[in-house]
Amino acid sequence: MSAAPTEAPRRNPLAAAALAWLVPGLGHWYLGRRRVAPAFAVIVTVAFLLGLSLDGRLYTVEAGQPLTILATFAVYGAGLLNVAARLLSETPGGTILSPTYEYGCAYLLTAGLMNLLLVLDAYDIASGRKR
Amino acid sequence: MIAALLPVDHFLIMTLYALLASSFFALLWRETPRERWKLFATLMASLVLGGLAVAWLMYPFP
Repeated sequence: MSAAPTEAPRRNPLAAAALAWLVPGLGHWYLGRRRVAPAFAVIVTVAFLLGLSLDGRLYTVEAGQPLTILATFAVYGAGLLNVAARLLSETPGGTILSPTYEYGCAYLLTAGLMNLLLVLDAYDIASGRKR
Repeated sequence: MIAALLPVDHFLIMTLYALLASSFFALLWRETPRERWKLFATLMASLVLGGLAVAWLMYPFP
């Protein structure tokens, strides 16, 4: 009589995706990826904070500026980091005259997009599409 | 706010960006440490050297 093969416990894909969106790395932590989760958290958080420090802009949708829809979607990808920054920042619109404004925007957009990739990755792992 | 964390150094800001992006994709797309280091080195070199090449090409323009 052979023992049944042990399987990793299945996790809820939507819960994994939601946790990954809320806090960078939390979705992977929930899925048991305890080594990469803190690294993801540090990378996304550092990129986001550097974006704020470099006077980047937390985009909002503007009428007549369709690209701001994409930029807003990207920045909102950073989850609670974005929400906290909007609540706490004195200049959520960035400082356009700052020499580092463009760099700051690039860092903020990248942080949000990286976290959105983590959301998709966590969903795929939890649903069994990726090991 | 910038003065608190970083000097306004274009190369430093670009290199930091390359470091973060390379680390992220190496961890996301590869599983073994060897593969991760290889992808990290490739991405880092491509971003930094590519940035320098574009800067050099743009140098004659005002």
